[in-house]
Amino acid sequence: MDVEDLLREGMERFTEEVPVPRGLVHKAARARRRRMTIRAAMAAGTAAVTAAAVIAVTGAGTGAGTGGVTNARTTAYVIGRVENALAAENFVIQGQATGADAFSVHGHRVRDSNEPTSSWTYRNLWRTEEFTGISCGHARPNGVCTNHGGSEPYVAQGTARIGGRLLSVYVTYYNHRYSLSPRGHFHLKACSKTAQLGLGGPAVTIPDWPAFIKAILGCQHATVTGHARISGVQTIVISGLIDIPLSKGYARMVKEPRVRVRYTLDVDSATYLPVRIYSSTETYGGAAGPTVSAYVTNVRWLPPTKANIAKALVTIPPATSG
Amino acid sequence: MVRAQRIEDLEQLLAQRGQALLRTAVLLTGSIEAGEDLLQSAIERLLRQGRRLEGDPEGYLRRTLSNLATDGYRRQGRWRRRLLILQAEADAPADATAEVDLRDALMRLLVQLPPQQRTVLVLRYWEQLSGAETAKLLGCSEDAVKSAASRGLRLLRELAGSWQYAGAHQQT
Repeated sequence: MDVEDLLREGMERFTEEVPVPRGLVHKAARARRRRMTIRAAMAAGTAAVTAAAVIAVTGAGTGAGTGGVTNARTTAYVIGRVENALAAENFVIQGQATGADAFSVHGHRVRDSNEPTSSWTYRNLWRTEEFTGISCGHARPNGVCTNHGGSEPYVAQGTARIGGRLLSVYVTYYNHRYSLSPRGHFHLKACSKTAQLGLGGPAVTIPDWPAFIKAILGCQHATVTGHARISGVQTIVISGLIDIPLSKGYARMVKEPRVRVRYTLDVDSATYLPVRIYSSTETYGGAAGPTVSAYVTNVRWLPPTKANIAKALVTIPPATSG
Repeated sequence: MVRAQRIEDLEQLLAQRGQALLRTAVLLTGSIEAGEDLLQSAIERLLRQGRRLEGDPEGYLRRTLSNLATDGYRRQGRWRRRLLILQAEADAPADATAEVDLRDALMRLLVQLPPQQRTVLVLRYWEQLSGAETAKLLGCSEDAVKSAASRGLRLLRELAGSWQYAGAHQQT
């Protein structure tokens, strides 16, 4: 069959379930009134347009498909501002992530804390450090927890300046070893499965994550869902849900045909820079039953002072062998 | 009073022609939700310009749908990346459902096409408009319509070609 015929047939099939639109005229009239209210507020200088739009959207309790135009436009506006803010930022970014896994063992739900992770990023410099966590405590040279002694650095990964060259480095503190490699070019294809799966993990383990977040926000999964106050900062909440079918090989390996990734970005309503990121990956079946792996990453945007930039480099501790 | 009458007229128009308009909007955007949003935007514009109701409101809505789809989505600039991904991720069909799969893949690709190409293909192959009618509706030259249609179809054919090749390759 010719492509043109297939296209016609496809269009027919694609839209055959389309319902008769109901109430669209009234929704449009309401949306128009709302927009006029926002414009009036802007003209009067009584409120920031984004806050007004966000409040209008959340106050109306709109959802996908019904929230319609105002929500879509608010989302587009906010995401545009976030993208610009991320593109223009010149900060040392500090991230602190904590997380937990929930799964089933012999029918019992188990919740297990993930190791806290911290990161420092400045342009092409980055350092991610994973800690053992309080429950693990001091780690033996084989990496096994002693369950006492408090949390300590476990592994570090990132860039290091060695002999004037910028290299990639991986340090394992528990056995006092490190390895060097040429600095790779980090590039995640926007909206790719890899990028979407990465989004379900702690945001700090991704080098150049502002570029990563920016790329993900361009994938149309995100929606402005409200506002929140975090550590005294008024934020706009952007949420997204992605259902990701896994490739056959990967699905076979993890015994899951698909995963669901949820994320929430709280962006400072003044600077539009993210201050907190929630991310989770859910699976539905497999031996451990439904699993949820969730992370919270708190983000600070620090001035690029010498001291702060230095924190974005991995330092190889003394008495560590390569 | 006039406004209430205008809304009532529009309700009546949508009761008769709403589904056809929504189907076009869905094709222009790729999903029912986005299609509803697009149609709602077009209605909002029509409400803003009430006098046009006396003329050809359906024609105005169709023009607005096409223009909004072209303008709004052009600004997003996302299609290029998504198109590449879609091409890279297209899986080859392995059985007799290949044609159905290809048809679905074509629809997915249609949604990812640059806005003008997608709009032109929807107007030409869904709305059955001629090249001249499409050009008039979009406010561009007939040559621009031909060029957009041929570029859009070429991309769809490329997908179909690689699909068939991949299918044949997998079966060997």
